[in-house]
Amino acid sequence: MNYLLHLLIYLDIYIIVALSLNIVVGYCGLLTLAHAGYFAVGSYAYALLTLKLGWGFLPSVAAAAILSGTLSLAVSLPAWRLREDFFVMASLSVQALIFSAINNWSKPGEPVGTLANLTNGPYGVPGVPRPDIMGSVFDTIGSVATISLVLAFLNLLVGWALLKSPWGRVLQAMRDDELAARGLGKNVRRLKVQAFAVACGMVAVAGALYASYVNYVDASLSSLDHSILMLSMVIVGGVGNFRGPVVGAAVLIAIPEIMRLLQIPDTMAAEIRLMAYGLLLIVMMHLRPQGLAGSYRME
Amino acid sequence: MSLPEAHFENQAPIDRPPTLGSVVLRAEGLTKSFGGHTVLDGVSVDLRKGEVVLLRGDNGSGKTTLLNILTGNLEPDSGQIQIHLNGTDKVLSFPLSLWKRLNPFTGFGPERMAQLGVARTWQDIRLFSTQDLCNNIAVAEPNQLGENPLWSLFRRRAVFRREVKNVTVAKLMLASLGLIGREASSADRISLGQSKRVAIARAVRAGAKILLLDEPLAGLDASGVEQVLELLGKLADDDKVTLVIVEHVFNIERILGFVDTVWSLDNGQLRVESPREVREEYVPEEGLGPVLWTLKVAGPGGKANQETLPGGATLTIAVPKVGSSPATVFEVKDLVVYRGGRLVIGAEDASGVRGLSFTLKEGQMAVLQAPNGWGKTTLLEAIAGVIPIQRGTITLGETEVTCMPSWKRAGLGISLLQARNHTLPRLTVKENLSLARVQRIPAAIKPLLYREVSSLSGGEKQKVAIACALDPPQSAIHLMDEPFAALDDKSIREVIGLIEQRISRVPALVAMPGGST
Repeated sequence: MNYLLHLLIYLDIYIIVALSLNIVVGYCGLLTLAHAGYFAVGSYAYALLTLKLGWGFLPSVAAAAILSGTLSLAVSLPAWRLREDFFVMASLSVQALIFSAINNWSKPGEPVGTLANLTNGPYGVPGVPRPDIMGSVFDTIGSVATISLVLAFLNLLVGWALLKSPWGRVLQAMRDDELAARGLGKNVRRLKVQAFAVACGMVAVAGALYASYVNYVDASLSSLDHSILMLSMVIVGGVGNFRGPVVGAAVLIAIPEIMRLLQIPDTMAAEIRLMAYGLLLIVMMHLRPQGLAGSYRME
Repeated sequence: MSLPEAHFENQAPIDRPPTLGSVVLRAEGLTKSFGGHTVLDGVSVDLRKGEVVLLRGDNGSGKTTLLNILTGNLEPDSGQIQIHLNGTDKVLSFPLSLWKRLNPFTGFGPERMAQLGVARTWQDIRLFSTQDLCNNIAVAEPNQLGENPLWSLFRRRAVFRREVKNVTVAKLMLASLGLIGREASSADRISLGQSKRVAIARAVRAGAKILLLDEPLAGLDASGVEQVLELLGKLADDDKVTLVIVEHVFNIERILGFVDTVWSLDNGQLRVESPREVREEYVPEEGLGPVLWTLKVAGPGGKANQETLPGGATLTIAVPKVGSSPATVFEVKDLVVYRGGRLVIGAEDASGVRGLSFTLKEGQMAVLQAPNGWGKTTLLEAIAGVIPIQRGTITLGETEVTCMPSWKRAGLGISLLQARNHTLPRLTVKENLSLARVQRIPAAIKPLLYREVSSLSGGEKQKVAIACALDPPQSAIHLMDEPFAALDDKSIREVIGLIEQRISRVPALVAMPGGST
């Protein structure tokens, strides 16, 4: 039972991740590799606010979302001018910047969370507390699963309300033909800033949820591999609608579990998993470029 | 905003009475150069409320450059643009200072010009392809409450009410364009004429008081031309929208009866003329309809065989008089092509689906004239192997090519000139010609050899595309999709000459819109 609840929590976290990435990739047509960086920003913000300042779960999650949304300017401002491959490179540099900052912001001997040793470098931040809402600590796996389910549902609701609104429509117009959208008086720069802020805010919520469940955060959360895993979810599942990211998150969460069932030795499992992801991406791009359940075909 | 009634009648446009209002846009001393080549040299113009202007000029004269500048898509090197619309006066002086360029509130760009009431349409239409027609128009409404994500979340009721109104207006506009019941159609599933009218309606919905149209009649059949002209007439007369129309030489005679002023661009200078002056100097080309052209190609003693195809298309084949029976060079038999479940090539009757069949022999040229949406491009692409076919055979000489991929067909000599995007824009003209293995470079292209194709005007690009398609030595048949698009009078004559010269050796199939002359 605990195993299933564990899977449910991971599924909820990555549904939020894929849904947020879908706003940028599926609705704006901007392929970003920096998303794991913002996931890590959310995780660390939550970890430090709860550990060092003793904040509760909800204010910490809200602050993590606001911080990540604000830092999203690092990718949304380059998106004003850069497109396609050049934008991907810019987002990669933001990812590298966040990873380097987290991995190097440390000083031996200084307490974790101080200005000198904010992230504790490669050692990460252990002992992140479980969710604490108005004095009630959700320290069982079942209670964390409930919170993650509620948060995933809320994110789905927010995403649905936004993307089914005129805002979602104008994002799609910008994706289809940016120049034509500008010719109708649409401020595409503002739209890009808004889309990245919303997406990075949402992924920070997922990051905070992850930190509260695993009780430990480290720099690998902001790694390029993690960004590619997130991107694989939306590409495999499909973008431009709601089903795609959910399906993608489920498929990519299921792959390592299937390998576990096949009893592949731990020494080989990681490599085989990466090969499976790569193979899946190649097959999808050839046979179904719009993803398993997507409605927009990435070019 | 009112648009024409749902019903359109095919009637020739009549001269409009001059009822012009105040100046709404004034451009002074606009200059623009590309790589040392001056395209606009101190151009000054006035536009008045409700005025309809025809902007004309030869290929490369700077029509599109001026259109791009007036709509914020290109910054001039110097000059000034004054806009007097919606009760505000705005002056934009060029070159812009660094601060103005960086400041999103004072900058110069298409969104800024659109917000001031200056919008445009594109020759390649640019509807939002993944959205339906209703949303294509609804998205254009300016200052929508729901375009703010915070209001979309926290003022849902107000956003919903506003959206219902917006969608209702969009549906009414579609109804007035004769597109009742097509609200949910995807923008890439309607005919060219319908797309052009939706694009115009979308610009009007965005609040355009000055609308600049880049070849709004290009590629349209006769009824499409009438429908677009009627829509434009209503906009100018009823809504007092100022129109600037860049139009192709084919349609200038039709437009002259419709415009108040003509702007003629030549060597970077703009001359303002009246339509009457232009009409007096304008000598229409001898009408070269498909029958006349094919008769000319057939030569003395030859004939033009005309066959009516389903869907209002005609296939006219020039058959020269020759002593012995010429060999069959190309044969299409029982060809059936579906696109997205829709039968495009072929006809359905009680006995089932009948495919398209025709043959071309040595020295013959076929002109396929069909209305927009008939499937001309589909037919040529199917023959070239770019898209799959569902039934039939295609034979080149003795070789059946039906199952061959496109590159093998090209290797055997099936040469396709696509209607657009036929050149490689990031390469120079010389590199494009080299890739196409062109041996004799036409004189008109020699001055352009070292320029990047993306920097050429529409007409110049088309000339390069035609040179690439017509000259390769291994060609066995030429398939040409609207080869005269975007060309001026002189260039059309040159291209006709080139085609006639080539088909003495290699047959050609030329697709043209219905109603072209």
